[in-house]
Amino acid sequence: MIDSLTEKADQRPPCVLIAEDDQALRELLAFALYRAGFSVASCNNGLRLLEMLENGIDDRSTAVDIVITDLRMPAMTGLEVLQALFDRPERPPVICMTAFGDAKTHQTAIRYGATHTIDKPFDIDEMIELVRAVCKHKKITKE
Amino acid sequence: MRLTIRITAAVMLGIVLIFSLYSYLSIQREREQLKKNLSREARNLGEALLFIVEDLLVVRGEDAAMAFLARRNQLNPALQARWVWLDAPTGSRFHPLVEISELDALARRKPLSLMVSSQNGHDFLLTYLPTLSKDGRLGAIEVRESMDELHGYVQESMRRSAMVVGAAVVSGLMLMAVLGSLWINRPVRHLREQAERIGTGDFSARVQVGGRDELGKLAHTIEQMRSQLALAREAEEQATREKIETLETLRHTERLATLGRLSAGMAHELGTPLNVISGRAKLIASNELSPAEAAHSAQIIGEQAERMTRIMRQLLDYARRGESRKQRVNPCELLKKVVELLASVAQKQRVEITLECPEDPTPYVRADPAQLQQVLLNLALNGIQAMEQGGELSLGLRIAEPWVQLQVRDQGRGISAEDLPHIFDPFFTTKEVGRGTGLGLSIAHGIISEHKGQIEVQSTPGQGSCFLVNLPAFEVGAADEV
Repeated sequence: MIDSLTEKADQRPPCVLIAEDDQALRELLAFALYRAGFSVASCNNGLRLLEMLENGIDDRSTAVDIVITDLRMPAMTGLEVLQALFDRPERPPVICMTAFGDAKTHQTAIRYGATHTIDKPFDIDEMIELVRAVCKHKKITKE
Repeated sequence: MRLTIRITAAVMLGIVLIFSLYSYLSIQREREQLKKNLSREARNLGEALLFIVEDLLVVRGEDAAMAFLARRNQLNPALQARWVWLDAPTGSRFHPLVEISELDALARRKPLSLMVSSQNGHDFLLTYLPTLSKDGRLGAIEVRESMDELHGYVQESMRRSAMVVGAAVVSGLMLMAVLGSLWINRPVRHLREQAERIGTGDFSARVQVGGRDELGKLAHTIEQMRSQLALAREAEEQATREKIETLETLRHTERLATLGRLSAGMAHELGTPLNVISGRAKLIASNELSPAEAAHSAQIIGEQAERMTRIMRQLLDYARRGESRKQRVNPCELLKKVVELLASVAQKQRVEITLECPEDPTPYVRADPAQLQQVLLNLALNGIQAMEQGGELSLGLRIAEPWVQLQVRDQGRGISAEDLPHIFDPFFTTKEVGRGTGLGLSIAHGIISEHKGQIEVQSTPGQGSCFLVNLPAFEVGAADEV
């Protein structure tokens, strides 16, 4: 039973959840990742991101494989979401985007549990490569 | 100079008084002495003549005696001798020159001297020497001596005394002029010049007046004061320099901090659209998009470029705000205009705008009306945007000496305590991306500071915010600033 579920999860494309308050950037990321073969969901603030991680995306069967989040967002910042997720072992890997770019912000994000941090503006292909690498790493770790 | 004159005058007065008194006393004494001599002389002569005349009267008769006296008188006209009978009737040639009543002493056979003034102003010394004739009549030799010689002598003495006093005064004046100038005027003038220089703030030259007298001590005291003042000023200048340096450092640090905030804000505001543009461009370049998708991406690129342009323009507006043209402004009129301009926006958001202005007296402010309107519009718009569920935006005006205070109060979501210190920072915004760049309040802050005013905010999260703009009241006659 467990094996068959795992197998099923392996067959579907990895699901990326994007949290970004800027609509244009959110759409670009969603479009590019979708074209790269990912299943994509998105939201525009930190609180919604946390809700979607808690409750699943459409129904409880769709698990989030990877999260891409902005740090500065209304309602709840990316760092606050990271803090809220900190002590959950099953939390997905998180890639943080930041426009502030100073070393301190990066360190803080990593300390709060972010897998990677990336400075805005970034190369969209690099971002896709990063998402792929994180997915692969997750899969290897699982196996 | 006055002091010297006063001292000189006092000394001279003393000299003149003492000299005059001395001269007067000496002359008086000499005069007495001279009178005594004259009267002795007259008495000697009278005694000699009395012998002869007595003999002549006895031996040769009255006529011969009188002729002798006449002959004698021709020898010395200044010393006239005459025979008088005390019982001779008034008007006779033997009647004495003075009244008989004044000659009581003669009856007691005593010689008598007395001074008489003639009608033409000449003084005489009359000396009477009495004798009894054989038939018992009282007669006397009357010696009349003119006092003109004595008067001449006294006048000469007085003239000499006056000359001595005059010479003493003149030489004393000259001496005092020289010494006064040397000992008093010159050092006092020097001290005055020094004191005036110190008064104008020039502490450079030392105060130097030699001597151990009062002026020397005064100079020493002034010199001490000068050096203390110089030290104090030196210390003050040092303190001012340090203060300026500290301020400069602080300003530099502040500039760096502002630059840092500005850069961070720029990075955030421009980073996102740049990201979108580069991503969309890459998608188009990959040639894998359908024509419709490519067109959509190109359109987004255009929009993002426009957004960046808008940010750049606002930033430039912020950086080089034009010179303000200040004039007398009725802030109430401005508030009314703001209410009119925002009426439709407010209605759409179900916000009611109220305005409260005191009519009398109308407080005026010195301001650039366009800039002040920009500030008020910005504050009011922020207030409206903060009330997503609608509410009341109240604009008000009141006098809070020395300020004229404008109020913009909303019932919106308020500002959190951690955001409150940053709301006037450039690029600080809590609005959703695209709704605000975070420059509005920093521009407002800049404008109000430039008007020598203050902008303050009070806010309770969940209840609303109140922005207070304090502007200096318009003062009649204040110079126009450009």
